[in-house]
Amino acid sequence: MKAYITGTSTFVPETSVSNEEIAERLGLEPEQIFKSSGIRRRRWAEKGTTTSFLATEALRLALEDAKLKAEDVDYLLFGTMTPDRFIPGSAPSVQKSLGLREIPCLDIRAACSNALYALQLASALTTSGAAHRVAICLAEIQSAYLNLSPEAGTTSMLFGDGASALIVSNEKTEGALEIIDIHLATDGTYVDDLGLRCPGTEFGASHTHSTGENASDYFPRMVGQSVILQASRKIVASCQAVLQRNNLAASDVRWMVPHQANANLLAQVARGLKFPTDQGGVISVLEDYGNTSSASMGIALDTLRRSGRIQSRDRLLLPAFGAGFTWGAGLCVAVD
Amino acid sequence: MVLPQGVTDYLNENAQNNGVEQPKPGDDLFKSGVLDSFALVDFIGVLETETGIKVPDSDVKAANFQTLEAVERYVESRKG
Repeated sequence: MKAYITGTSTFVPETSVSNEEIAERLGLEPEQIFKSSGIRRRRWAEKGTTTSFLATEALRLALEDAKLKAEDVDYLLFGTMTPDRFIPGSAPSVQKSLGLREIPCLDIRAACSNALYALQLASALTTSGAAHRVAICLAEIQSAYLNLSPEAGTTSMLFGDGASALIVSNEKTEGALEIIDIHLATDGTYVDDLGLRCPGTEFGASHTHSTGENASDYFPRMVGQSVILQASRKIVASCQAVLQRNNLAASDVRWMVPHQANANLLAQVARGLKFPTDQGGVISVLEDYGNTSSASMGIALDTLRRSGRIQSRDRLLLPAFGAGFTWGAGLCVAVD
Repeated sequence: MVLPQGVTDYLNENAQNNGVEQPKPGDDLFKSGVLDSFALVDFIGVLETETGIKVPDSDVKAANFQTLEAVERYVESRKG
């Protein structure tokens, strides 16, 4: 049995926030933000919006795209770093709001690699016959956690809110993408170089903002240089691994649909793989959406699918890198 | 040790492209603008090709490549 991506979607909050609107608060120049990231604007949700709301709307659209109904879904995976609640996960909220059956619903926490981790799980579930149609929600509301001051400017400038959803099925449909292979990896050495420490058992479950003791532990932390250096090498190595074990070269791939971290990183990865950048093959939605973490690869994939540019038998490479560090690369092919 | 010509050529070319002076012994390659994080990834690739060493991911940090002398020391340590 094979696994196919048969539906994709994007759902983002209405409010678009430009570099010009936030640069001064972050102690940066608007053009400096664009030059160092490729981002011109990002969507930020209104206060009170929940991550599961974005995910629910994205899944509604993905089901429509796959020509399925809510009752057809028999497994739900939800990748997010910004859940509605600490406990339980956000998947049950999507199950309720969309009226899914009493199916298994769980959150996964592989950060910006969530899309790939979810795809591998969904692929295993569908090819084993444990499930037939797996819904994957990928959503973030990161704006609620950002430190909008100059001390965190180069981190906070990157992140946007948004959601995407993917449907994975063991039934081939028109326009589907067959999941050929996914290579995943983790190195916990870098657990403190990217992430958000609190609340948790290691650094404390309650904040003491009044004394200022651990206020920074409640904001995202990113050791930019470590992320860039490790991501640049590990993503390329992962892409090469998945290509080599399928007897392919980068030149056999038509589309690269990466996690949307930073335009300069995408260029670096393309250069490392000798993947051509002058034929529109590297899909980037960074300019309009920023880094939407878990949601970003799904948004990029949905954007490409809806552009109508994918031809049958086109191969797609899906690289990702996130907190942990977690990373990997997926390989898909458009069905005939 | 003397770094291979290809290694110094890469650094000098990068300096020229970035509009800064060619690196001299003792110069901080990052503060002087010869390298940044992205360029360091490419530089390590050049270093691996030109010297035959393999740089493990755990060694990919600016401190190992801060100056020409640090680069030389690092290459020697990997060869030793």
